[in-house]
Amino acid sequence: MSILITAATKVLVQGMTGKEGQKATRAMLDYGTDVICGVTPNKGGQEVEGRPVFNSIAEAQQNFPGINTTAIYVPPFAAKAAILEAVESGIKTINVIVERIPIQDTAYCLAAAKERGARIVGPSSLGYISPGVGRIGVVGGPLVGEIFAPGSIGVISRSGGMTNEVSWQIRQAGLGQSTAVHVGGDLLMGMTYADLLRLFEKDEQTKAVVIFGEHGGSYEFEIVDAIKNKEYTKPLAIYIGGKFANVLPEGMNIGHAGAIVERGKGAAEKEAALATVGVMVAERYEDLVSLIMAYG
Amino acid sequence: MNLYEFEGKQLFAKHGILTPKGVVARRGDDYAAKYRELGLPEVVAKAQVLSGKRGKNNGIRFCSSAEEVRAACEDLFAMQIRGQLVAAVLIEEKLAISEEHYISITYDTNKKQPVMIYSQDGGMDIEAVPEEKIDKTWLDIRGAELPPSIGESLWQCFLAEDTRLAEINPLVKTTDGRWVAADAKVALDDDAFYRHKEWETLEPRTLLGRLPTEREVAVKKIDEGEGYYRGTAGKYIEMDGDMAILFSGGGASIANMDALLKAGLEPANYTEYSGNPPREKVYQLAKIVLSKPGLHGLWIAGGVANFTNVAETFQGIADALDEVKPTYPIVVRRAGPNEGEGMRLMRDCAERNGLTMKLFGKDTSMGETAVTLATLVKEKAYASAP
Repeated sequence: MSILITAATKVLVQGMTGKEGQKATRAMLDYGTDVICGVTPNKGGQEVEGRPVFNSIAEAQQNFPGINTTAIYVPPFAAKAAILEAVESGIKTINVIVERIPIQDTAYCLAAAKERGARIVGPSSLGYISPGVGRIGVVGGPLVGEIFAPGSIGVISRSGGMTNEVSWQIRQAGLGQSTAVHVGGDLLMGMTYADLLRLFEKDEQTKAVVIFGEHGGSYEFEIVDAIKNKEYTKPLAIYIGGKFANVLPEGMNIGHAGAIVERGKGAAEKEAALATVGVMVAERYEDLVSLIMAYG
Repeated sequence: MNLYEFEGKQLFAKHGILTPKGVVARRGDDYAAKYRELGLPEVVAKAQVLSGKRGKNNGIRFCSSAEEVRAACEDLFAMQIRGQLVAAVLIEEKLAISEEHYISITYDTNKKQPVMIYSQDGGMDIEAVPEEKIDKTWLDIRGAELPPSIGESLWQCFLAEDTRLAEINPLVKTTDGRWVAADAKVALDDDAFYRHKEWETLEPRTLLGRLPTEREVAVKKIDEGEGYYRGTAGKYIEMDGDMAILFSGGGASIANMDALLKAGLEPANYTEYSGNPPREKVYQLAKIVLSKPGLHGLWIAGGVANFTNVAETFQGIADALDEVKPTYPIVVRRAGPNEGEGMRLMRDCAERNGLTMKLFGKDTSMGETAVTLATLVKEKAYASAP
């Protein structure tokens, strides 16, 4: 098994005719993902990688009623409309790769998604992958075959590059991944660490999970609650980057929009809270694998 | 971007919130003339800094004459407040205060929606107010309607001006019954820049307790204009160390800063490019990073890229190295699309310029290469010691 993506996943690409949309379409097809069609307003009738493009999601659904996932590749100023169109069309799994969406637009879309029971991975998420099953987005890039192999470790990362980097370390150690998810680095995120841990809890293939986290925000504290409430009971190792950020002034953000320097909510405080509920804390990201080895 | 108090108050005023009458004095202005311009006898001179706790740190002065204002301004401009540069002094009407309240709107990241926080106990840090004296109202971003009030005006301001935080502390009730925003703390959402042309006129600023350096200002320009969405290469924080940094990827950059310090090295800057920026952008960035005097090493590091073209971005760095030809050690660690060609470009660049450069791919972790750099830097220091 896997989370978020299965053999029955049928993908729509919004913004398919754009440069990044085309690249993602090719990346997904190359990895065996069932990309059905695309949507770009006013570009209906074209084809990308042999897949038809429609003017709207409604039109796409008339032709392909089975669409259950969408990957969104549009410019930031068009993101809100694209996400809302997906939510209102009843698509339940939405991956938003778009970076630098105004936070107000993100909040608006998350509220709409919550109301309709849709889950959003992102914004600023390069996607997710279940080795051997498929990938949404471009996670793994062209090296996907070297980095990812089916296995028992779940991966969650705030960073796209580090999703690969950590997955590669797992692979080097002779293990594989169940699903690796890039949640994105924004201040507001759709699927959070805790949301994903609940899914990994139910997934039999997953024996343990590793997380690459960052200073800033308070999503790590939700993990503490999920563990206390027994919603997640498997081994978990986490690395939280940004200890150096203590030397920077409060309010400054570095690396990602969500990585804001806040006293009392830094990397060290998060690690301390997580350690109290039995989470294994890695001093360096390279140590995640050695902490989790015995459980894979 | 954090706003200065006087800028925040301009936004409040635009949305119908009363603010005290005031004038802004800049460093070197005729401060007494500013006082006369305001035309009120009793005034407050307030240091304009980008973070709070100003009152406790002697950043607010009450004055009753031109001479007192002049002396207060001289004094405030000579200060730093919690490490913050005093960018201006706001001279404003002294309010006759009857009550001090607190009100703010920001995003609750766990509930993922805006929250309005209100307390009758204002004027102090909201963190210091007991929980039971704070009212929180979560607002529906899709059109919460509030009764006409300061809160409603603040909500309109929050939405229309794309702020991440809009705080009035204290919200003053004057003895003659007016509600006035006596302070303003506003943070703009940088990602909404494209729909706020007016933000382009805001003065450059940094939270680092000094004016932005030439290099910081120059790097910021790289991402402006039509290349705005073609990857990001406009991040540069100037620091005190001697190791030049060119990181790729936000997460990798954060982990690598930790690794650099662990290896006993001090960063000369924090820099990160990501999102597959074109050669030209990376060239400009690298050129500026390498222009800092007193460098003793260069670390070019990133994880396994998903879609950033390693060859193209490295070509940009090689262009800059061709011009600068550094004599200090350089360590490179990178993988991802076109990594083979990228590494070849770097190797060729090192050969034609006689650079001391070590190259690593994904088989060596990023952290290990920080240690390699530390060793090379130490060796070089021994070799060149008298």
